Amino acid sequence: MNNRSKITITVVVVVTLFFIWIISGTQGKEVPFLSIEELVTGEYDQDRFRLGGNVQAGSIQIAEDDLLKVEFILKQGESIIKVHYYKTRPDLFADYCEVIVEGEYRNNEFYADNLMTKCASRYEGDLRDKNSYNLDEI
Amino acid sequence: MIHSMATLGTVSQSLALGFTVLSIILIAQFLRSGDTRLYVSGRRSAVIAAGLVILSTLVLLRELIQSNFNLEYVAHYTSIATPLLYKISALWAGQAGSLLFWVFIVAGYILIVIYQNRTVNKVMMPWVIMILMAIQFFFLYMTNFITNPFSPVEAGIIISDGNGLNPLLQNVTMAIHPPTLYLGYVGFAIPFTFAMAALITGDTSATWIKLIRRWTLFTWLALGIGILLGAWWAYQELGWGGYWAWDPVENASLMPWLTATAFIHSIIIQEKRDMLRVWNMILIIITFTLSIFGTFLTRSGIMSSVHSFTASSLGPLFLGFVFLILAGSFLLLYKRLPMLRTKNRIESFVSRESGFLFNNVIFIVMCFAVFWGTMFPVLTEAVRGTKITVGAPFFNQVNIPIGLSLLFLTGIGPVLAWRRTSKQVLIKQFSLPVLVSLVALGVFILRGLQGYVMISFVLAVFVTTTIVLEFARGIAARHRRFNESVVLAFWQMLRKNRHRYGGYIVHFGIVLMFVGFTGKAFNREIETAIRTGDKFHLSGYEFELQEIETEERPNHFAWIAHLKVVKLGVGPVTHLFPEKRIYFHRNPDQRKHQPHSELDIHTTLKQDIYSVFSGYDTKTKSASFKIMINPLVSWVWIGSYIFVLGTLIALWPNRRKK
Repeated sequence: MNNRSKITITVVVVVTLFFIWIISGTQGKEVPFLSIEELVTGEYDQDRFRLGGNVQAGSIQIAEDDLLKVEFILKQGESIIKVHYYKTRPDLFADYCEVIVEGEYRNNEFYADNLMTKCASRYEGDLRDKNSYNLDEI
Repeated sequence: MIHSMATLGTVSQSLALGFTVLSIILIAQFLRSGDTRLYVSGRRSAVIAAGLVILSTLVLLRELIQSNFNLEYVAHYTSIATPLLYKISALWAGQAGSLLFWVFIVAGYILIVIYQNRTVNKVMMPWVIMILMAIQFFFLYMTNFITNPFSPVEAGIIISDGNGLNPLLQNVTMAIHPPTLYLGYVGFAIPFTFAMAALITGDTSATWIKLIRRWTLFTWLALGIGILLGAWWAYQELGWGGYWAWDPVENASLMPWLTATAFIHSIIIQEKRDMLRVWNMILIIITFTLSIFGTFLTRSGIMSSVHSFTASSLGPLFLGFVFLILAGSFLLLYKRLPMLRTKNRIESFVSRESGFLFNNVIFIVMCFAVFWGTMFPVLTEAVRGTKITVGAPFFNQVNIPIGLSLLFLTGIGPVLAWRRTSKQVLIKQFSLPVLVSLVALGVFILRGLQGYVMISFVLAVFVTTTIVLEFARGIAARHRRFNESVVLAFWQMLRKNRHRYGGYIVHFGIVLMFVGFTGKAFNREIETAIRTGDKFHLSGYEFELQEIETEERPNHFAWIAHLKVVKLGVGPVTHLFPEKRIYFHRNPDQRKHQPHSELDIHTTLKQDIYSVFSGYDTKTKSASFKIMINPLVSWVWIGSYIFVLGTLIALWPNRRKK
């Protein structure tokens, strides 16, 4: 076998092995990103999910005995779900804020172990909310 | 006056679009007719268009600095109290401004390219200008018609003060992270354009590569610095204790950097051995496409990322642009394939060429891994109907062996000879590094290391030894030949061969970063809620909350925790003062209050003690903290500095030969 074919074969083998490694790498790490409605109405083999939505205003309840423990209502369109979270919360976590939670779904409630809020720079949504400006009467 | 300035911005932005189109038409006419006057006018139009873009950007900047809240963009991202630096950085804080800023960089690059090539490369330049103008047209079309930074606020509203920039972004690093990233993203347009011009004009030799080598290196460095600054900012500001989260937008910047890294290696082979012509074309096309694709990811709303802008009509436009670039350039490449064939082949398995080849293959594999994980939700939604995400565990698991393979090649590749490396040379070059690595392996095993951590540390020792040996050999050779002192020989060697030794320094920086990455395996953390006087323990350290002080500062209110850190059995280590701040605390509207945790880190070369004051209940006086012990993180930043230094050495221009 000449050098050229040796190199070609090695490259092909290396690439194939890595590709199999990458593609099989998702197994066991897949987390479905569902809507609240899909989660509540559907049936799934696994219990880890990701949800997105907004924090319902006034729903945040921090446990009196433990500052880290929080419950809130996640709202997506008309659907809502109660979310429990027991870790440090991001600073941007507040009423109305857009969050993504990852965790387990048990007894119609969601136990999140990962809570992400939208990046600070991206308050594009406020743009049409006139209340966000200090308006002077004309 | 204020109104007229904003109008100037709008008008110059529109005129810029007009001159861009004019330039394209004139140069196209020149290419058809050969009438040089048309080319001269086309080039002038390009210069004027670029000038107008710069003018409109400066106008927006002025409006931001002067707080002209008649512009929606200004009202949205700044307030009267916003410090000057962040009024300036608001230029790229929002969607409309950042797109204008993007064109601003394109325009700046265009002027430099036109100036650099004013008397040379007469065949390629018309095409280069035309393609760059086409790219500029795309972005100008968006800032003019889709997301205009000069749009006024709705009629009938007078705004006395704007929203202000989010406190998280009021950080010097964050002010310079986006522009450096953009310098990188946009910069790939230049090598891409020259590659296309080379294909069109049929000059497929290494000419275009010589023209773009420094551009590419600069762009690659800028993107690299942008990525590192983002990582540094995340670590210093965000308070989750890490610097890389495999977020889609982070990945979007990493992907073109990976392919560009492959590119800057493989163009060396084309320059030295006239091989890999097609491969280099493919690499630069992919790199440029990925940098546009990165912008698409952030603007389209297709990804739920912490960074992403709200879904907007920009998505389909960007996707269309990406497809246009891919289809156009690959079609061109296909048509020119016969011209790109070369006679040279890789002669031996054990040669510098094959080292580079494998390095390239593995960079592409890594890019694919990142792409696969990033796009997995989109792909699964298309195929299975449900969005499935894979988070950091996937990326870490998949990329660790790929990264370690790259690290291994970093040690081997540069030492191999061109064409073929004889057995004797192999033994001579590698016996010492292998020996040192074996000793290190023994030590690491004795210290109880195993798995990837052990492999990573052993490879770090191996690569460092090969690099040190390369320097030692070079110095010894000069010492023998010119009888120079060690310091002088070192200096002369660097000076005479900047690419090579700059490259080695970059490699050493990367080795140190890997050491830092590996430290993550030993991270420890605790989250707890306590009151003043309470203590808690983590990894042999005791933390005592001594007091919580309050302070009102100009733009925020702060609770400052005093945490005493004691190493058990040793003694006091340090005091940490993480803060919980409330920005906009004087605003009567509670919803406008913005909490922010200002963390405190005790850094040593061995480890960081990372403290976050995550919450405070004024009624119960209960304070919550997140404390992490993060070993070896400093080495990521030290490695970064060395990476930048090495690249600057490689970039530094040689003195003009007279």
